[in-house]
Amino acid sequence: MMKKVIVIGLDGFEPKIAEAMMARSELPNLQNVREQGGYARLGTTYSAQTPVAWSTYSTGTNPGGHGIFDFLSRDPKTYLPVMALSRYEQKNAFVLPKVVNMRRGIPFWELLSARDVPSTILRVPCAYPPDPVKGRLLSGVGVPDLRGGFGTPTFYSTRKDLHADQSEKVVAVNVEGDRVATQVIGPRDPKTKSDHKFDIHIQIVKEENKIVITSQGQPDKLEVQLGKWSKWLKVRFKVGMMQSVTGIVRFNLRQIEPEFELYASPVNFETEEPLFSISHPKEYAHELAMKIGRYYTAGMAEDHDGLNLGRFDEAAYLDQCRIVMRERRRMMEFELGRFERGYFYCLYDTPDRLAHMFWRFREAGHPSNRHHGYNAEYAGAIEEHYRECDAIVGEAMKAVDDETLFIVLSDHGMNSFQRGLNLNTWLYENGFLALKPGVQPGESGDFFQNVDWDKTKAFALGLGCIFLNLKGREANGILNEEEAEQTRQGIERGLSGLVDPERGAVAVRSVSRREQIYSGPYLHEAPDLLVNFSEGYRVSWDTPLGGVPQGLFVDNHKRWGGDHVIDPALVPGVLLMNRTFRAQSPSLVDLAPTILNALGVPKNAEMEGSDLLS
Amino acid sequence: MNVLVLHFPGAKRAALFNDERLENLRRLMDMGCFGALAASGEWNVLARQENHTLSLMEYFQQADKLCVETTNPVTLREKLSVGDWDYLQYTAASYPADNWSADDYLRLDQEVGEALQELSDDTVIAILGADCFVLVSANNPISGEYSGGVAADIAPTLVQLTGFPLPSAAEGTSWVAGMELNNSSGLTADEQQILRDRLSGLGYI
Repeated sequence: MMKKVIVIGLDGFEPKIAEAMMARSELPNLQNVREQGGYARLGTTYSAQTPVAWSTYSTGTNPGGHGIFDFLSRDPKTYLPVMALSRYEQKNAFVLPKVVNMRRGIPFWELLSARDVPSTILRVPCAYPPDPVKGRLLSGVGVPDLRGGFGTPTFYSTRKDLHADQSEKVVAVNVEGDRVATQVIGPRDPKTKSDHKFDIHIQIVKEENKIVITSQGQPDKLEVQLGKWSKWLKVRFKVGMMQSVTGIVRFNLRQIEPEFELYASPVNFETEEPLFSISHPKEYAHELAMKIGRYYTAGMAEDHDGLNLGRFDEAAYLDQCRIVMRERRRMMEFELGRFERGYFYCLYDTPDRLAHMFWRFREAGHPSNRHHGYNAEYAGAIEEHYRECDAIVGEAMKAVDDETLFIVLSDHGMNSFQRGLNLNTWLYENGFLALKPGVQPGESGDFFQNVDWDKTKAFALGLGCIFLNLKGREANGILNEEEAEQTRQGIERGLSGLVDPERGAVAVRSVSRREQIYSGPYLHEAPDLLVNFSEGYRVSWDTPLGGVPQGLFVDNHKRWGGDHVIDPALVPGVLLMNRTFRAQSPSLVDLAPTILNALGVPKNAEMEGSDLLS
Repeated sequence: MNVLVLHFPGAKRAALFNDERLENLRRLMDMGCFGALAASGEWNVLARQENHTLSLMEYFQQADKLCVETTNPVTLREKLSVGDWDYLQYTAASYPADNWSADDYLRLDQEVGEALQELSDDTVIAILGADCFVLVSANNPISGEYSGGVAADIAPTLVQLTGFPLPSAAEGTSWVAGMELNNSSGLTADEQQILRDRLSGLGYI
């Protein structure tokens, strides 16, 4: 039995890259763990996504046992996509909403707590609201920004021709002398349908390439250097005559002349008075901030949208990734410093977020490079980052003693995303999805606008999910069980082995029925079919929110050029332990039993995997 | 629409509207309108007809509404949780008549908070103190501080918010007379925007 289990999570850490680097002796600390114990590729979940995979890690069950199948789900009453990780429940219009975690099942730290084994859990996905635990837990992916989304940044510019993309705000500003008066955009007011705002006054100090932001916030004067990320500014939005909420925001000054351009991060929850609790115990998030300084609280810390929309460049994004890594490392070091026994977990999300944005530089021919330019300097950016991860693993290993089981793992790998499939358009062309009379693909917006539900048999949303329009389940369901079976078979036949004619490559390897890949109490919430893409492919950008654009295959032109939501067999994660373990096809479900057993606590009946050390 | 009136005869405006700890009350104040109430007339008298004083509750009874009146917090809770009422009027009797302590105000806020848990969205809520009111209703076109109201205006205002006609010889003046009431509709373009907001920043979409 062990006294301690220390787990370092590296989100999206790709085995092929890691293996090649280890072969070249570039990851000395990971190699050290491998030599002490072992290394294996780690089987991931259907589908290979952060919330799905880490929920399986936490509960030891397949997604049918915890109910997280994708970032997105659909509301069967409206066919609209909804955020699948948590839900706001409001009994009526007069009371505050309550956040409800949609990850069900029993996380293994609950079993540890029941046996009095303490846990320190930093930034675990899908624990929002935070799971009560003996010890401390800081929520990760799933915590929204102050506007309630995954993150809405703001871009201030004197240019008049800028338009906001769907995931940002653009504010037109004027420079008067050396001054700019503007506002930080806060939460929406559901009543007036306008945004709450916080006044800031900007003074441009041209000769020093900086601005000074003066406000009622903290600090009252904040310096922002050209091209650099500022420190945090604590802001307060009056959300009514009687109520206010606080948040933290940081800036990146992009340009002073000839245009003035300033980027503001999504407004994160502030730890002292967060809108909703983000830690257990409630005060823990703030206690941590007092020790290590303010930190990103939003589940998605890295501003990939800012880069994707070209509001700042790769260098600024790399800077920000370093900031996130540094603060996460400070958290880890602080907590490892006082960790004596039980379970310790710290997740680094950045390997995933960085690889999404830098993958295109590994492939000179990536379609994204035709639009955004190719820079050979970044061809090794992921490797460089992996070395930083390796150094962090080395730091964590300092806390390892003879009675410690040390685990490093990733939830899935990473791959190329060059071509997208318009899944709803495929369903349309093959007679499974109908548009209203006279409407053609491309004339239908997202949210299934202009879809004729009375004639639609199946629809796609999320990252490869297909739902059948079942009678009695969906609002305008039309399929009875026999027709549903025909539809399943038709989609399986048509999509499996689907070839991208422009490239002559198989884009879809197979289609899985939910009954083949899931079991458990939440099976009925799963998408009916899951599309397993080949390397280089994914659903198109228009698919997740229910768009039906023209044409089947499209080049991926976005800077987000790497992805992992393909056939899970192609994107396993990595697993390293400082003890010899069963290296034959370990998978995420095996971690909970392994960790529990190491700490002398029996697994529960729901857990499907087995102890990798026995 | 249902009507819930919570009457706290001993609560004074100066304390009620200036205590930041009264979270439920403050949320309601932000949702609707609030203000001082001059002591002219009685809040629950809708009209004075020849030989008869028509109370608000009587009016709703005549309109076949299920009306309940209580001073007992236990009865209030029961009625709220079962939901068998259209008009529910609670006069808090278990408080001092005057000179409330800070704790009394906290208790009021707690009682209000508990009551709110049980309501449906289409409820018209009036919270009345000795010299003040808070009025919340989804269709209420007035928001923020409302000044110049008198006690006699409460009954006709409530009647109009529920969509009933005012009787002749109404005592006070309905604040929403002649105003267009807010109505709620299905998923608007704006709500789609909210949905987009919530999902944006995910990266994958």
